[in-house]
Amino acid sequence: MHVVKEALDAADSRPARLLVVEDELLIRMLITDVLRDAGYEVIEAVSGDEALDLLKAGVVFDLVLSDVRMPGSTDGLALLAFARQNLAELPFILTSGHLAPEIALAEGAVGFLAKPYGMHDALAVVEQEVAKLR
Amino acid sequence: MSAPTRSPGPTPSILIVDSDVISRHVIADYLRHCGYGVVEAATTDEAITALSEASLGIDVILCDVGAIGSQPAFGLAHWVRSHQPQLEVRLAGSLEGVADTAADLCESGPHLIKPYEPEAVVDYVKQLRAARNRARET
Repeated sequence: MHVVKEALDAADSRPARLLVVEDELLIRMLITDVLRDAGYEVIEAVSGDEALDLLKAGVVFDLVLSDVRMPGSTDGLALLAFARQNLAELPFILTSGHLAPEIALAEGAVGFLAKPYGMHDALAVVEQEVAKLR
Repeated sequence: MSAPTRSPGPTPSILIVDSDVISRHVIADYLRHCGYGVVEAATTDEAITALSEASLGIDVILCDVGAIGSQPAFGLAHWVRSHQPQLEVRLAGSLEGVADTAADLCESGPHLIKPYEPEAVVDYVKQLRAARNRARET
């Protein structure tokens, strides 16, 4: 049984833990505030490299919300590819002002948010995907 | 059941500046557990962006001395003294220093929760870093 499902089964009552990967500070502040206010536990990464560090450190997440274009050596698609290889059941929602949604979904994302996105739209997409995990 | 608050005032906010995401997220979680609002910045440049945004309402800055950016941590402290002298800046030179400073803040934090020991925080960060380093080597 995959680690994500195990984590959920082990603590059904705990809030879902989300990884938000976004290099733009103010967007990151807004979306993480919205998600925390909605009751989620949120860990923030400012780059794909940071997100990779968290995943490699074994921090368990229920879902990842990641921008695509970010500074550093790991963009959102590379992060998604790492997860597909190593954490196959970890759902990803990608956000981008440049990438076509079909490409995101073809690469294995379960959802896509076109930037600029509304915070309520983002919350709705996250809630929809988290609900599938329970 | 939510923890009782010490005061009915607005939630105080701490800006944590740390370029290591593992220690940053653990310390940030710790401070949120104590009832603070927390803004996270990975670099001193991000910190200045956050401080320039009045709506974030930052009261205290906790900065790792090793934080990277176009200016070092001491440069950030100087910037704060010049632009927002009312803010409290706490610099810490080690993970243990950051954890101890976070524990001090939690002792006077808005929630009446005994903060967990800073040594536990340090141990947890070290475990995560070790796991990350092992994964990087494979």
